[in-house]
Amino acid sequence: MSEIVIDVGDRPIREVNQDIQAACAAGGPIRVRNTLSRHNLGVGLPPGVTIHFEGSVGYYCAGLNTGATVTIERNCGWGVAEGMSDGFVTVGGYAGMSCGAAMTGGLIHVKGDCGPRCGVAMKNGTIVVEGKVGYQCGFMAHKGRIIALGGAGESCADALWEGEVWVAGDVDSLGVDVKVIEPTAEEVAEVDAILEPLGLKDTARNWRKMISGQRLWYFESRDAGAWLMI
Amino acid sequence: MCGIAGRILSAPGRVGNDLVELMDAQEHRGADSTGFAVYGIPRDEGYILRGMGFNESRLSADMEDFRLILREHGADFLEDPTFVTGGAAHYCVRMVISDPKDLARWINDADTMSDRFEVQSCGRSLEIVKDTGGSRDVAEKHGVRDMIGTHGLGHARLATESSVLPNASHPFWARPFPDVAIVHNGQITNYYTWRDRLHRLGYRFLTENDSELIAVWVSHEMSQGLTLDQALKKSIRDIDGVFTYMIAGEDGIGFAKDRFAMKPLVVVWQDGSFAAATEEQAVRRIYPGECDVINYDGPSLTEIWGVGNRRAAA
Repeated sequence: MSEIVIDVGDRPIREVNQDIQAACAAGGPIRVRNTLSRHNLGVGLPPGVTIHFEGSVGYYCAGLNTGATVTIERNCGWGVAEGMSDGFVTVGGYAGMSCGAAMTGGLIHVKGDCGPRCGVAMKNGTIVVEGKVGYQCGFMAHKGRIIALGGAGESCADALWEGEVWVAGDVDSLGVDVKVIEPTAEEVAEVDAILEPLGLKDTARNWRKMISGQRLWYFESRDAGAWLMI
Repeated sequence: MCGIAGRILSAPGRVGNDLVELMDAQEHRGADSTGFAVYGIPRDEGYILRGMGFNESRLSADMEDFRLILREHGADFLEDPTFVTGGAAHYCVRMVISDPKDLARWINDADTMSDRFEVQSCGRSLEIVKDTGGSRDVAEKHGVRDMIGTHGLGHARLATESSVLPNASHPFWARPFPDVAIVHNGQITNYYTWRDRLHRLGYRFLTENDSELIAVWVSHEMSQGLTLDQALKKSIRDIDGVFTYMIAGEDGIGFAKDRFAMKPLVVVWQDGSFAAATEEQAVRRIYPGECDVINYDGPSLTEIWGVGNRRAAA
């Protein structure tokens, strides 16, 4: 099927998204041009479509994705693939704050670095970051897995709930209530199985797996100090 | 949410127009009020004042009283003041004055009539223009697009912590320091603690806007001998809340960001010129093509960007 090309420029985003949804209904694939870092592009995409954003996009691109395959050529702003339930989102460059916030499924692959609070409040799914994850990565993540290959910034895995943060490389500092554990061979194999189709498998990696220390699960006043660490 | 912006040109030019574009692209962040700090070609002597009176019918009396205070400090108008009036209770004025003997003392005396008239900027080159409404309306009303200069700041306000009043708009002048202005995106949570403390030290607050605190706080720290860089770093420890603020002086623009890394700032440097904004889509108005964008996303960050050629012919 031939590619459907949609131009953004200074057009109203509602109109652009209507065009994108119509192109999805037609079956795509879709190429979105002249994005100019504008917000809310491609929100609520249906399963089965392939959409490519040329250049950089703004906030909340591919939010609430239900199964589309999305590629962003360069950078994205806040909340890329926020609330995604299924699908595959690739960011070619840098991902801004709250990448994959509250996502419930699917996979995000960031080829560059990530801003603060990558995977904040995520409830399932996977985020793979080839570069470094920013401040408070995995903040209050309830489920799912963040895999950072290029290290992590300050306060890593801060107040993590039931998610997992895997880091290869340096971690600037750990967040509140984090437990660093030695992953089992089976768990490493599971992560490698995620990385392999992305061409990122490397068995020589020295992983740090972070999970919740569970002290914040049942708050007691004598633990109040833990909250004041940040 | 508020949106902030900064712009530096490689040589004097239409900086006002660029700031309007930067703010227009961010108007959805807040259109309660909009403001601009524009640094024109610097004067060798004399100051440019921008101010606001709150009752247009008192304009003549305000100016007479203001001139009286000015003369008591050995200064006077160098040009006839120009006014923007109509459509609202308040009026705005631009004045050029000769140098008062002691700028800080003069502004302290001038502020005694601040319930009627406020000086909102004073500098060899700084002019702060601010008003209620969105960027296009404010720009048109005050002729901001035609303002020539080297650098400047912009602000779009979504009022959260205090009322929507024309004088509570940003930028704020770091009174009494000439040519220093700030814009802020965020909330200051230890505002009243600091306000009380600075008030007891003799500083005057003209609004209830928490962002005014930053301007006063910085001016106090600089009066105690801190450099701008030191003041920026100290503010991250001393000022509590979420903030990204930008501060401009004659020679450059600096910024500081809170330790929670809550409010964004994106920057593009290209061909000796610079644009910074809360959102990347705003800097795309200046640099539409793909280029290197620096995201200042980490916690506790500061930076100062210098202005190069200020006096080349416009």
